[in-house]
Amino acid sequence: MNKKLTELAIRGSRLDRSHVQLLVLILSLAMLVLGVGAPSDGGG
Amino acid sequence: MILLGALILGLLAGLAGAALQGRPYQPLYPRHLWLIPAAFAPQLLVAYLPATRELLPYWLAAAVLPSSLLVFLVFAWVNRGVPGMPLLLAGLVLNLLVIAANGGWMPISPETASHLPGAGVLDAARLGTRFGQKDILLLTEDTRLAFLSDRFLLPSWFHYAVALSLGDILVAGGVFWLLARPARANPTTE
Repeated sequence: MNKKLTELAIRGSRLDRSHVQLLVLILSLAMLVLGVGAPSDGGG
Repeated sequence: MILLGALILGLLAGLAGAALQGRPYQPLYPRHLWLIPAAFAPQLLVAYLPATRELLPYWLAAAVLPSSLLVFLVFAWVNRGVPGMPLLLAGLVLNLLVIAANGGWMPISPETASHLPGAGVLDAARLGTRFGQKDILLLTEDTRLAFLSDRFLLPSWFHYAVALSLGDILVAGGVFWLLARPARANPTTE
């Protein structure tokens, strides 16, 4: 468990600014399409 | 979910294209991204979260949807120079027009809704009531701008039943292109 957490922290520290920017962009665009679109996939 | 699928496909296409060109993936970053969560937060409460969706009054939800679309409109307009955004903007405008014309909801006919899961019995008693997250059940003859409503169904072989509007199709195309477009050496938002 400790070894896995350490590996995760090391991998996490390899996230650079561009990765974070891309993640923010994707999350923002996800909210955008959910907000702007109005498809219907079921009742209830 | 179908629009999120377009987003994911666009991302994958962009990543694959960048890899084939031997370049890092560099999408164009729109300005004023804060407008998106500002516009989406009210919709989250009135349309997407079951707990709040049932608690908040009908008239509030009907007012929130077109209002939040106006904020999204500002964002899309400010970023109209970003490739893909004009297509998304066009889809947004079409959805806004039909939603505003029909009391703040996206209309869907009983015939179309009957193809969707969870539709239940679509009798006359349900006409004019809320259907799904953002839709209202209306007869086609009672729908303003019916050609812009949720009237397009995916082919049955898709194994995913969803009703789309013309605006949704343009939004999907716009977000796909925004993420899939070939990377450039010096990306800007102008």
